[in-house]
Amino acid sequence: MEFLKENWIFAEVDLNKVNPITYQLITKMNQISELPVTVVLVEGSSESLEEDIKEYGPDKIITIKNDQLVQGNDLEMTNALDTLIEKTGRPNSFVFAATVVGRSLAPRLQARLRTGLTADCLDLHFEDDGTLVQTKPSYGDNIMCEIVVPNHRPQMATVRSNVFEAKKLNNPMTKVINITNLKVVQDKQLTISSKPLPQESAESITEANRIVAIGRGDKTEENLTNAKRLADKLHAVIGVTRPLTDLEEFDINDQIGQSGQSVSPDILINLGISGAVQYTAGISNAKTIVSANTDKDAPIFKHSDYYYVGNAEEFSKALEKALQ
Amino acid sequence: MKIVVGIKQVPETTNVKINEKTKNIDRRGISGVINQYDRHALEAAFEIKAKTNAEVIVMTMGPDDFVVSLQEALALGADSAVLLSDRAFAGADTLATGYVLSEAIKKIGDVDLVLLGQQSVDADTGQMGPIISEFLDISQVTYASKLDVEEGGLRIKRYLENIEQDITAKLPVLVTVTDQANDPKYVNIVEIAKSFEKEVTTWHASDLNLDADRVGQAGSPSVVRSISSPKEVVKDNYKLPDNPQDAADELVKILKDKNILVEDK
Repeated sequence: MEFLKENWIFAEVDLNKVNPITYQLITKMNQISELPVTVVLVEGSSESLEEDIKEYGPDKIITIKNDQLVQGNDLEMTNALDTLIEKTGRPNSFVFAATVVGRSLAPRLQARLRTGLTADCLDLHFEDDGTLVQTKPSYGDNIMCEIVVPNHRPQMATVRSNVFEAKKLNNPMTKVINITNLKVVQDKQLTISSKPLPQESAESITEANRIVAIGRGDKTEENLTNAKRLADKLHAVIGVTRPLTDLEEFDINDQIGQSGQSVSPDILINLGISGAVQYTAGISNAKTIVSANTDKDAPIFKHSDYYYVGNAEEFSKALEKALQ
Repeated sequence: MKIVVGIKQVPETTNVKINEKTKNIDRRGISGVINQYDRHALEAAFEIKAKTNAEVIVMTMGPDDFVVSLQEALALGADSAVLLSDRAFAGADTLATGYVLSEAIKKIGDVDLVLLGQQSVDADTGQMGPIISEFLDISQVTYASKLDVEEGGLRIKRYLENIEQDITAKLPVLVTVTDQANDPKYVNIVEIAKSFEKEVTTWHASDLNLDADRVGQAGSPSVVRSISSPKEVVKDNYKLPDNPQDAADELVKILKDKNILVEDK
C-alpha cells in the first residue's frame, strides 16, 4: 500500500495556546517513531504557535492559518484535514489528544478515511514494519486491549493526557510548512460561540501537583471548608467525585474520573471517597495516594500508598495541624 | 420532529475479569443494562418530546437479548424500537458498527435528530456519534451538557477542558449527551411489562442497503490483538494508626522523608 512515510500528530490549541498534551505526544512520537514526526497545527491567522511547538523538536510542522477553522466545528475541521491528506498522501499514523476536541474530531476523520481508530490510548509503540500497537483500557480500566490496524492508513489513535512526559528537544532541522490556500466550506448548520471558562483556581486539576479530593460524604458546608483549608495549607487544588458536581461551585473540570478528568499529581489525598471504578479510572497516574474513609473495606484503599480508617474530616483536621 | 436515540446494552458492572482458559472477557452471570450515558440521551429525547410532540425511535445493534434494553426504553416513553441483529454484524469495530447504524437511520428516513450517549461504559470509545454523523453527512455536536429546543433547532451547552461553548444547531443534527445534561427517570418492572404491547422491530442485514464488505469483521479495520488485565501498580497499602493525629503526624513525616512533601519556600 502506498502511503506517506510520516507519523502525524494533531496539535490541540485551546484559547490561542497549545494544549500540553501536544508536547507530550511529540516527545513520545520522537522516542518511538523511525519515520519523521509531523505536527499538524491549525491556528488563527495572526498566531505563530509553531514557535512554541518547535521547542519540542518534531521533524516537520504543517501550519494551517485559518480563522474559520479555529472556531472548532468538527465537520469543517474534518473537511480541512481530509483535503490536506488528499494533497500529501495518507500518513502512516495520525494521533490526537483524547480530549473533548480530539475525541470528537478524530472519529469523524476516521469515518471519512474509513480506517481504524483506537480511543483513549494509554500507550503506543511501533513495530518494525510501521504497525502502531495501541494499548487501550476498557470496562472502566479493568481490561487492557492491544489494538492494531493492519491494512488501513493512517492508523489513528487518541491518547490520554498526562500519560507521557513532555521534554523539550533542540532540533535545528524542524521544517515549517505553511498551507495558505486550503478551501474551507462553512458549515451553516452550527453556530458556535466559545468563551474561556472562568479560572477559579489558578491551576486546573489535570495539571496540579497536589490534589485534595472530596467525595459524597463531604458535601456539607463545614466538610467543604475543612477540605479547602487543608488544600490551602498544602497549596493543593480541590478535586471532586461526580455527585459533588451537583453543587454550584464544581463542574466537570473539577471532577476526577471516567466522566471527568484524569489527574497525575505528585500527591493525591482522598477524603471520604470510597473508590468506585469510575473514580479510580482517573487517578491511575497519581504518584502518591493517601486515602481516608470510615469503611475499612473501601476499595480506594487498594489504590492507596497510605490509608486511614476513620473519619475523614478528623483526619483532614489532624493533617492540617501536622503541617503547621 | 423525528428523533432516533441509539443505545447500547452493556454489562451491569464494568468489574469484569479475563477467563484464564478462553483468554476472553468473562461475562458469565453479568446481566445487561442500558449504558448509563444512553439513559441521558433517552431522557433528552423525552424532554424534547414533551415540548414538541416529537416521535422517538430507539435503536440498538446487537444480539437478540438486547431486546430487553429496547423494551425498557419503550417503557420509559419511546414510541418504537428497532433491533439490528444479524450474524453478519458480529465482530464489528466502531467503523463497521457506525456504518450499519447509519444505514438503519437512513432507512427510517427524514430523521431530524440523532441522540447518543457520550460513550459506552464498556468499550469507552465515544466514536459512534462522530462516525454516524459522517456517514449521514450531517453536523455533529458531541458532549452536550445541556440541550434546549428552540425555533428551528437546538441550543446546546458544551464544555471543553478550558472553554465553554454555546451552540445553536439547525436540524438535522447528531448530538451526544453527557451525564450532566439531565436526570434520567427509571421505570419499574410493571411498566416494562406493559411496554410489551409496543413491538420491537428487528432488521437483519438483508433489510438494509448494505455493502457486505463494510459490515462485521470484514468491514473492521481494527483488530484486537490481545486483551489482558492491567498491570497492577503495586501500592504499599500502608495502614496509618487509628488515632487521627498520630496518623497525620506519621504521614507528614513519611512524606517529608520521601521528599514528596518538601517544605514550602
